[in-house]
Amino acid sequence: MIEVRNLKKTYDVKRRDGLFKSHRERIEAVKDISMRIDAGQIVGLLGINGAGKTTTIKMLTTLIEPTSGTYSFDGMDAIKHPSEVKKQINMIAGGERMIYWRLTAYENLWYYGQLYGIDNAVLKQRIEKLLKLVGLEDRANFPVETFSKGMKQRLQIARGLINDPKYIFLDEPTIGLDAVVTQELHREIKSLAKEHGKGILLTSHYLSEVEELCDYIYLVNSGELVVEGIKKDLTDFVFLRNQYEFSTKGMDEAIYQKLKSHICHVDNEAEISFENGKTVIESKMELSSVLAGFAIQEMLTINELHKMEPSLEQAVIKLSKDMQKEEIA
Amino acid sequence: MELKVLKATIKKEFQVRLRVYPISFMVGCILTSFYTTFGAWLMYHYFFRRQLSDSFSGLTGTSDYMSYAIVGSLMYLFVVRTCLNVSRTLMTELWEGTLESLMLAPFRRVAYFLGNMLLQTITTFGETAIATLIGVFFGLRIHEFNIIEFGIAVVLSLYCFFGVSLMLGCVMLYTRNTYITQNTLFTGMFLVCGITFPIEYLPTGLRLLGKLIPVTDCVSLMRAALLGGMGQGQFTQTALMALISGTIYIAFGMPLMKQAERLALEKMEG
Repeated sequence: MIEVRNLKKTYDVKRRDGLFKSHRERIEAVKDISMRIDAGQIVGLLGINGAGKTTTIKMLTTLIEPTSGTYSFDGMDAIKHPSEVKKQINMIAGGERMIYWRLTAYENLWYYGQLYGIDNAVLKQRIEKLLKLVGLEDRANFPVETFSKGMKQRLQIARGLINDPKYIFLDEPTIGLDAVVTQELHREIKSLAKEHGKGILLTSHYLSEVEELCDYIYLVNSGELVVEGIKKDLTDFVFLRNQYEFSTKGMDEAIYQKLKSHICHVDNEAEISFENGKTVIESKMELSSVLAGFAIQEMLTINELHKMEPSLEQAVIKLSKDMQKEEIA
Repeated sequence: MELKVLKATIKKEFQVRLRVYPISFMVGCILTSFYTTFGAWLMYHYFFRRQLSDSFSGLTGTSDYMSYAIVGSLMYLFVVRTCLNVSRTLMTELWEGTLESLMLAPFRRVAYFLGNMLLQTITTFGETAIATLIGVFFGLRIHEFNIIEFGIAVVLSLYCFFGVSLMLGCVMLYTRNTYITQNTLFTGMFLVCGITFPIEYLPTGLRLLGKLIPVTDCVSLMRAALLGGMGQGQFTQTALMALISGTIYIAFGMPLMKQAERLALEKMEG
């Protein structure tokens, strides 16, 4: 298990005021972040407005040292033993970086395998398996510079798995990938966590990706944790409600008024409107059975009963807007 | 594991160079050696009119100025090529976007740098051989070839250049600049390390500065091995000095490089 408590990172940067003038400024990239990643779990790290996601990942991968806070890696002090941590982790970042363009795909994986001290026989098998996994087995001996963007990204994914890491940090891993490869990668990420027990931290701009893959989500803003939990916790936090669309045969104003009063007895905070022969209800409560019960009681035939849960994207957008308003205020 | 990293780095660098060997860069370095030699030749023949002061042979142990200057310029080519490539390795990784993935791996940096150094040495030997042929054309004569002293001079030079490369690499990584850093250092070395004239001709401050850079002792050792003019005792003393200064550069360079790496990764955050 990876557990960080009150992680903080500050930088002293030099800011130019003119040709010869400059001043030093202290930047708090991460102010206070506590989080946990369990084996077999996919954890999402979402950020709003330069939130400090990349700095957090760099601290977790021991690339940079936190200014303060604690970092426990399977019970070990990770800040004191970065080399031990490095053996058991890897990072896959979006884009075409982190691989040597002048080497072939095979040579890249071989070189990184050597840096991790992997036995040659094991490494050979692993490279073949990984190239197959990312669909590059036919291009194994071609220089990376001849690859398309997607192929480079796929090779990067193979590189990130070369040391069979226990924990994997995925920083925008599907950026620039086509839908088919993205879907395959999603399958692989799920399999790595659920079948192979790997702990995964995922950051992505595609909120639907986070929603689909993550078991638990941390939302950070300006280097601080705003909210954490499962998707429902996040939508509840921003008071997003389920939306129901309900219509019956012969629904008119009288039935609508009756329905409105019925709903208000169950949830007096629900917002109800009647549009184009349909009743639209927004409520934090589960109302499907209430609506079905109403139709039975009034002996009405249901034309439509549709429930839409608020998405993570809606929650993050709303939260982002709320925070911008707060900042302006 | 260190040997694995060393061998893998040599192989990787070899594969990269095999595909994109910087021929123009190599030609540029050989040309630098040619210009240095040619400049010395012009000065010697048309400015000094082949007249050397008595102090020159007293200080250098030889009266063959052209051989003295050519050996110096060959060593200069060697130090520039070696230091330049080794010190720029991490900067190259930074430019190519592989620094983070490299730093994520749990390997000892010394094996990585040595791997780069060894491959570069092989390449540089080839380039120096071509430059030596040019030197012969300008009047290079090997007066007293001592194979043992030559071996010692080569090994100690590589050891010292490795140390200088580490220090230079730290400055490059910290400043994120290669051109100003390397050009300042190499021009400085050319002036104060006894490449084309004995450092005793320099003002005291610059002479002391030259003494602090192990390249000066390495050039003296190589001249002694090829041209003679240095007694056994003096050779041993100079070799010992080179060993000590090289060790100091490496001892400071390795931990400093770690710091520079850390700062480089932090600077990537902006």
